Amino acid sequence: MSEELTMPRLSDTMEQGTIGRWLKREGESFHEGDVIAEIETDKATMDFQAYEDGTMLRILVGDGETAALGAPIAIIGAEGEEVPADAPAAASANGGGRDNGAAEPAPAAEPEAREEAPVATATEEAPSDGGGLRASPIARRMADAGGLDLRTLAGKGTGPDGRIVKADVERALAGGARPAPAAPAAPQAAPPPPGEGDEVRELTPMLKAVARRMAEAKATVPHFYVSSEIDMTRALELRAELNAALADSGEKVSVNDLIVRACAQALVQHPQAHRSYVDGHHVYHAHVHVGIAVALDDGLIVPVLRDADTKGVRQLAVETRDLVTRARDGKLRQSEIEGGTFTVSNMGMLDVAAFSAIINPPESTILAVSSTVERAVVRDGAVVPRKIMSVTLSCDHRACSGADGARLLQTIKRHLEAPTLLLA
Amino acid sequence: MADVTYREALRLALDEELGRDQDVFLMGEEIGRFEGSYKVTAGLWQKYGANRVRETPISEEGFVGAGIGAAMMGLRPVIEIMTINFILVAMDQVINHAAKIRYMFGGKVGVPLVIRAPGGAGAQLTAQHSQSLEAWFAGCPGLKVVAPATPADAYGMLKTAIRDDDPVLFCENLVLYNLTGALPENGDGLVPLGRAAIAREGTDLTLVAHSYTVQRALRVADRLAQDGISVEVVDLRSLRPLDVDTVAESVRKTNRVLVAEEGWSTYGVGAELAARLQRVCFDDLDAPVERVGQAEVPMPYAKPLELAALPLESKIEAAARSLLAECGL
Repeated sequence: MSEELTMPRLSDTMEQGTIGRWLKREGESFHEGDVIAEIETDKATMDFQAYEDGTMLRILVGDGETAALGAPIAIIGAEGEEVPADAPAAASANGGGRDNGAAEPAPAAEPEAREEAPVATATEEAPSDGGGLRASPIARRMADAGGLDLRTLAGKGTGPDGRIVKADVERALAGGARPAPAAPAAPQAAPPPPGEGDEVRELTPMLKAVARRMAEAKATVPHFYVSSEIDMTRALELRAELNAALADSGEKVSVNDLIVRACAQALVQHPQAHRSYVDGHHVYHAHVHVGIAVALDDGLIVPVLRDADTKGVRQLAVETRDLVTRARDGKLRQSEIEGGTFTVSNMGMLDVAAFSAIINPPESTILAVSSTVERAVVRDGAVVPRKIMSVTLSCDHRACSGADGARLLQTIKRHLEAPTLLLA
Repeated sequence: MADVTYREALRLALDEELGRDQDVFLMGEEIGRFEGSYKVTAGLWQKYGANRVRETPISEEGFVGAGIGAAMMGLRPVIEIMTINFILVAMDQVINHAAKIRYMFGGKVGVPLVIRAPGGAGAQLTAQHSQSLEAWFAGCPGLKVVAPATPADAYGMLKTAIRDDDPVLFCENLVLYNLTGALPENGDGLVPLGRAAIAREGTDLTLVAHSYTVQRALRVADRLAQDGISVEVVDLRSLRPLDVDTVAESVRKTNRVLVAEEGWSTYGVGAELAARLQRVCFDDLDAPVERVGQAEVPMPYAKPLELAALPLESKIEAAARSLLAECGL
């Protein structure tokens, strides 16, 4: 008995998923637990495992195509089983279905059969050869990067046996081949036409998620901002001392690790600045999960240090380094990028005087950290050089008041300026 | 400095190293009074005497073994094997001793030995005297295997090999001996082992080669350039350690790669590179890794058959064009 596979919910914010690629072709069988597809959510690429033995009968949503949560993406069943006549056809979200199927002359008998059986359209659109699209690896990569749906080149490849090669993709991209449209999206105002020479690129699922969530946050969360300057002179001395002592172990503590530590300690002391506004209620967070914003080549991801208040700076340093490395390699697990209760966005290494960050809902606060610079400041009536870092805390006014935000920031500042507290 | 031949570059390197370090000495057949079968040691016996330029009987196993012993005792012997074909009778010494002693003695004793040996084919020397066996040795841990393609690299890598604390098989090529080229004007001219070089830059195809095949590859690149095809030639220079990074960097630029070698392709340098590249450059490739080598036969004597068996420029060019045609170029 055949059944439909539907787009699974793989992250708590996911509304649709993109098939990265199918690992099982039509006609191929699989066992329970086999990975049958890679699905890109708004945050990560996840394996989709079979939950029972079976055979892939028909792929409905092809590589690179997007489907809404719960929408059918494939039909599975027993080996050799016929796909029932009322089964959905391969999705034609991109308009044309598969060109290679359509381009081949149909056998003479088929038009009649089609008239008799309305489902024949579906049969025609499903690839008869098992659905493989031949393309060189670099062609696939370039098409992906350029937002080109490779299936628009099916049957037009100039390589051996019609393989789509780099030159084909280059021609298609240069010729302004349309980027693959995303899943049936809500109708939108037509964007202004690009200027001459401009390049239009599809957003990656991650960038789409960033765009949507940031627009939502800025539009719906009433932000206010509290800024302060923190004297980092002693914290930097502490860090130097720590790193000298850790030199043999290969461990290294960064300024960011000290900041995360200070924030985690401060959040425990200020529950009113550590709660979320959700549907008219305040949710007081029992655990301090600190997200750290990691810039990627073209994108942004926020891995989460769980229970950060229970961890010392060394452990925070080790965990952070691991998370950041895997973030850059795209190897974070879903569980590592959700559940944050506070975020640190540190652009200190980018020579930034000051900036403010957009809150990452349902969190209610985010700390924007700018560069530390040596400045002349007055201490006890004398001008002395000190290393000063400016920070700006963005707060959701539904969750906390200005005073709550200011008190949280004060404690963070106190811990960084008297940094032995960080070790307490 | 005026251009020198590859042969003279080797001679100069030997001369300078003999002069620099009293522990360096040469051993081999006819390398003294007769100055070597290919005259690489010309004048050195007269200059340094019979103690440091030692003539040996026809006994490769014996004098390679003697070289290993001398190296273990701290000397730096440079052994000439008249052609690489004759190293086969000394295989036990090379593979079972030179390559393994540092490992089997817990790192306490090394073998700072250089074995120089020309290979190559094309002079109707037939099956037993026309081989390019370097890939066999490059598969053996404990050995370093190098195969320079220019006078400057021959000079710089021989000097580096002599100063290296481990056994180095230094592969020369009979056809290369008369190739001329400049030596570096400044500095010590030392060339590190284990680093490939970009012999010519290009954007459409990476053509990887070593030893004399690099010269063939450069001429193939010239010909393809006339048709607007831009070939990057990577000169491996060392086969073990193998500088995959440099090759991979080139492939990331060109997306296509052809490996040419004078030896047999099967289990050869191209085979090794194909295996490594499919891993590190999988998503960069526009076509499968292609390779060209000698026909899979013992080298024939008859001239037309010898030409048919050799990986001549015409064959490398045809393979390049066929690979590029697969990519629509």
